[in-house]
Amino acid sequence: MRKGLRTLAACAPVDHDLAKERRMRTAIARAKNSDAFAAQQNFDRAITKLVRATDVPPTIAEWFANEKLAEGTKRSIFRTVFHPAILATAFALAVIAVIAWLKFDEQVHAFPGLSVAKHLLAQASTTRIVDLPPVQAEAGAMGDFFLMKHRLNHYDVPEEFAQFLTTGARVYDDDEAGRVGQIAVSEKRMQYFLFPARRDSKSGQPEEFSGWRTLEQDGWSGAVRSKNGVIFMAVLRGPEKELAPYLKVPPSH
Amino acid sequence: MPGRNLPQLYRFCVLITGDGAKAQEVFQDTVREAAFHSANGEPPPDRYWFFREARWRCHALAEKEAKPEEMAHRTADLAPKAKEQIERLEPNQLASWISAAPEPQRSAMALYYLNQFSYREIMAILEIKLSVLAQALDLGRREFQAWLDTTVPAE
Repeated sequence: MRKGLRTLAACAPVDHDLAKERRMRTAIARAKNSDAFAAQQNFDRAITKLVRATDVPPTIAEWFANEKLAEGTKRSIFRTVFHPAILATAFALAVIAVIAWLKFDEQVHAFPGLSVAKHLLAQASTTRIVDLPPVQAEAGAMGDFFLMKHRLNHYDVPEEFAQFLTTGARVYDDDEAGRVGQIAVSEKRMQYFLFPARRDSKSGQPEEFSGWRTLEQDGWSGAVRSKNGVIFMAVLRGPEKELAPYLKVPPSH
Repeated sequence: MPGRNLPQLYRFCVLITGDGAKAQEVFQDTVREAAFHSANGEPPPDRYWFFREARWRCHALAEKEAKPEEMAHRTADLAPKAKEQIERLEPNQLASWISAAPEPQRSAMALYYLNQFSYREIMAILEIKLSVLAQALDLGRREFQAWLDTTVPAE
């Protein structure tokens, strides 16, 4: 017999009803035919009988009225839930869940050029629109304006934002974003930013993404789209939901 | 085992202390403590609590007294006539022998021969490993057999 089963057989109960576990039943079944085990069981049975014969004085027997006390009480659900260990575990799990959700949410919202978009969103919040050189035209025509005047190809305003009238526009070089086209429109004092998409270091191809993405920062919101290697971002002051009506297709999150 | 816990608790105290008066004291103190906890809205969670509590009370009682000199016990293989030898014993002789055994052998044998707990329950109450329990029981049997051979030799 294996050592593990032999060890178990040494603890085999006299009353086999106590052998509820399969391993113990296996150990008993394997040991059953050995003389040593039979001697052990006879020995144990005799001692158990002797223990049971221990006299219980009447003064002790009176205390047996408390038997119900010795059966133990089940902890109520309320007490279990509010046990400090359970509360601490639940709190820790909640913190982990929140952090995991924030990380997941961040990953879902992430897109190539997000850091530059955030940088320009911060710039938008500090820009005085009246300081932009005045340009009055339909925003949709600004693609030609950037191409003709600044030789910036594909700096086109998407059709969702093309119908609004511009009040000013400029082109400037930014350390992070590169050559940026900035347009101010009268509609909700929105600003548009156009800047080159980040390029893959290996292939040299612009890293693009499909559909609209949105971001929010310090009370300002942006809707971002990439096309032909150029990223367009419409910015306004307020929550993301104020941009939603302008987007034909809802943002992809 | 509903309805059997307190009588078994008393027997456990007898086996651990080897003395009816001490067993009575430990038993009553343990049940009183349980009643006190219950009155304060924190009743003992299970029957194991009683045996753990009684065990520590027995130990505390034994600490106050002079300890018997520890001797190396002789051992013997279990005899075919062990049953007859044991039948010639009085329960208090068995209790005296078990109470003189070292820990954890003493508590392991006391709990085991109550024939109320599975080996897992005994391990949990005594907080010992299976190998320790098996060794305590095996050695206890063989030492007790040697003592039997001296005290009540087989006829």
